[in-house]
Formats: sequence, structure tokens, C-alpha cells
Amino acid sequence: MLDLQFLIILLFSPLLQGIIKKIKAWSQGRVGAGVLQPYWDLVRLFRKDMVISKTASWVFHAAPFITFLSVLAASMMVPVISVKGTIFGMGDIIALLYTLALGRFFMVLAGLDAGTAFGGEGSSREATVAILVEPMMMLAIFSTAIAGGSTSLSKLALSVDIFHSPAHVLALAAFFVALIAETGRIPVDNPDTHLELTMIHEGMLLEYSGRYLALMEWAHYMKQMLLFTVAIDLFFSYGIAGGGHGFAALSPLYYALKLLFLAAAMAVAESSRAKLRFFQLPSLLGGAFVLSLLSIITVIMLG
Amino acid sequence: MLKRWIEIFSIIDFIAVGMLLSVIAMNSLKRIESCLKAYIINSSLLALLMVATAIYLSIPHLYLAAFFTIAGKCILIPYFLRKVIRQLKVTHDVEPYISSSLSLAASFAIVTIVYSVLSEGIFVAGLTRTVLKISVSIILISLFVMMTRKKAVTQVMGLLFMENGLFLAGFSLTFGMPTIIELGVLFDMLMGVLILGVFLSQIKKAFVSVDLDKLTSLKG
Repeated sequence: MLDLQFLIILLFSPLLQGIIKKIKAWSQGRVGAGVLQPYWDLVRLFRKDMVISKTASWVFHAAPFITFLSVLAASMMVPVISVKGTIFGMGDIIALLYTLALGRFFMVLAGLDAGTAFGGEGSSREATVAILVEPMMMLAIFSTAIAGGSTSLSKLALSVDIFHSPAHVLALAAFFVALIAETGRIPVDNPDTHLELTMIHEGMLLEYSGRYLALMEWAHYMKQMLLFTVAIDLFFSYGIAGGGHGFAALSPLYYALKLLFLAAAMAVAESSRAKLRFFQLPSLLGGAFVLSLLSIITVIMLG
Repeated sequence: MLKRWIEIFSIIDFIAVGMLLSVIAMNSLKRIESCLKAYIINSSLLALLMVATAIYLSIPHLYLAAFFTIAGKCILIPYFLRKVIRQLKVTHDVEPYISSSLSLAASFAIVTIVYSVLSEGIFVAGLTRTVLKISVSIILISLFVMMTRKKAVTQVMGLLFMENGLFLAGFSLTFGMPTIIELGVLFDMLMGVLILGVFLSQIKKAFVSVDLDKLTSLKG
């Protein structure tokens, strides 16, 4: 039964996106669309026909499925509400990140494949951001992994219970910046527009329509929720089932609350910042990289 | 009760790391006003560290030292510096000698070296274990900031950060020097900043700019 906990991510990720959008709208003084809007968007997209460029090769057709399935596979490795029942107990945090990277790789290829200028632009930017974010995310994760003595997410979720060292706070700060960059949120990318020349994620998807677009969007929502879940497992796993707290029945509630808290933090961070110019990104991400380096050295040296 | 909390949540470590972060932030801050804010944060954390240590080790005269730190470093010195900055009409230090990401990397290298060098030897016991390493890193990083900045004002800021680091180092080894010495140090600092302020406005008068590169044009 617990093997199916990845369904939570599959089914509720559009809802999370809706909630973030709603909070964002509130904090900007708008009413905003209902929280279920992403579901309706997906349903409508699945019903629509597709327009596919003549120059598109098999990569263009394969990319939506590979992206979606890689995110789905990655979400099977994550303890969502219980540390037991990640599929076959296999897969650690490194496997998870590189499964996600596979999906990203095909998304970048697909952006190039359709042969439009915007697609190529989006792809090159996405690749640049990925290069900057990946080492920082890995280091932030390693510092918790050293403290927890394992790279398995289930073990980490059990061991990291409370902020007992400055290293965790530094790692959390770095991870939060990585989260913003990975989910394409405002200082890095603007998720709400197709009209800007600065778009990254939307640029790559510009040639997609109908079912393929729906798959890509859904994969993006899932990836967002998946990364939030990883953050919860790594940094505030208190109350996860199987953790010896005896909160098995309450753990979905804890999970929802923590997710809501993260969503609110993300929405507020997003509406209080202006989007950075693309060439200023390295200094933001470089600062976060230094944070994660400091975190890892603190954890090694202070023990 | 409070003592146990300080122990459990390792509050002293947290405050010290916060001080380190505010110094590292100096590397990427371009606006002088923000550097000043970083300095105020740094000094308040120093005072907080003193209060935490005073509670933890029950040394009452540290409260006094913390009070003087707040009065001098969080209020008087920033107030005076702000006045000087307004007079000089400099708001930015836009062109440091090396780029901000490079200097962030350099300050990380400094932290690594300090941590690894100080992890062995006589200074590795008890409370000073973290704080001493961090204070030495603060001293070296602010020295580095002084070296890489062009404007005289930011160099003064670097000097102030360095003094905070020295104070922290002394504090972590002695748990508070006699109050009279602390007062003396603080007074010295205040005088130093006053003199530097006057000095800055003289540079400004003589060379029109506080950019220290232009001092070499004396040679002519």
C-alpha cells in the first residue's frame, strides 16, 4: 500500500501549483484563478489536437514521455508520508537527481529539435542554469548526507530531525535558492509569461501543443512537488511515518502543512523580488554555491 | 533553563556562523549603505554572542561589554560613518579589483584554510572551538576585502569588520577581558573612525574622489 505513495505526487502536484498561484495572487492584491485551475488546464490540453513542426524528428515526439516518466520514476524514490515503501527500497538521492537530469536533457533536446529561435534560446539558458544549480544542490545535499551518514533519503529523513547545527541552516538556504532555480521561479525565470524574451522553461515548450504540452506541464508540476518533498525529507522531516514518533495516521497532515508552508514561502519570495537579468544569475547562484560550500565545510570541520 | 537551550540548540555556533556570513556578504555588496547594514548586523551578532556566553558561563560583566558594543558599534560608529558617506556623496563601490564571484571563491578558500589549520593544536577544546576558527576567518576575509576594494570608504568598513573579528578572537580565548580594557578598545575604535572620517574628507578635498587608485597620480 505504501508503495503507492508516489501517487500523492502524481495527483496533487497540479493542486500545489494552483495553491502557489493563489497565494501569489493574494500577496499581489489580486483575486487570482481558483486553486483547481491547473487541473482544468491539463484536461483541456489533453483534449486538444496537436500542431507539430515538419522539421521535428523523433526526439520531439519522445521527449514529453521521457520527461514525464523520468519525473514519475524519480518520485517513486522519495519517501512522501512514510519512510517505508519507496519502490523496492532502491534509489538514493544521487540517483534521484540524475533521473531528473535525464528528463531535463530530453527537454533541452526537444527545444532545439523543433528548430525555432526561441526554443534554442530556452534550451541554452536552461542548460546554463542547470550547470550552475547542480553542483550547489549536490553540495547542499551532501552536507546533510554527511551529517546523517547515508545518501538514502529514507535514512536521512529519519536522522535529520531538528536544526542542531549551523550547517543545516546554510544548506537549507542554498537548497531554497536551488529550488527557486529548478522550478523556474521569479528571480531566475518567470513562470507566468510566454511573451518575454527572457523566458527559459516556456521557451523550450513553445513548439508543444495539446497532449504533449499537457504532459510537459504536468511533469513540471510534479517535479516542483517532488523537489519540495525532497526539501521536507532533508530538512524538516519531523512527523514522517516510521520515524519512531508514532504519527503514522497524522503524517499526511504534517506533510500537507509543511508543503503549504514551503509553498507560501516560495510565493512570498517570488512576489517580493524582481526578475534578475540573465547575466546577473551567476552572482545569485554563486552566492548560494558559497553557502553550500560553507555548509559542507562546517559539517566536516565541526563534526 | 536558558543555559540548557543554549547548549541544545548550539546557539553560540549559530551566532558565530551568522557573523561569518555577514562578512562574506561584504564581498558581493556594491552599495556602501548595504555594507554599513552588514556591519550593524555583524556588531549586533557580536553583542548577542556576548550575552549568550554571559548566560551560559554566568559571567555578569559580559552584559556590560555587550551593552557598550551595541552603543558603540551598532549606533555611534554607523551614525558617524553615514554622515561621512553623505558628505562624500559616494554611494557605490562599483569596480573592485576582482569580480564578486571570484572574491566569494577566494573568501571560501580562506575559510577552508583557516578551518583546516586550526583544527589541530591547543585551541580545539570547549566553547572556543568554533568561535576561534570563525574569528580568524573574519579577520582574514575582511583584510582581503580591504585589499580588493578601491574606495577608501569600503576599506574603512573592512577595517571595522576586522576589528570585530579581532574582538571575537580575543573574546573567545579569554571570555571577556577586564571591562576597562574592553572600554579602552572601543574608545580607540571610535577615535580611529573619527580620524579616518576626517582623513577621508581631506582626501576628497585634495583629489576630488575617494578612489584610492588616483592617489598614485601624485608621482606625476
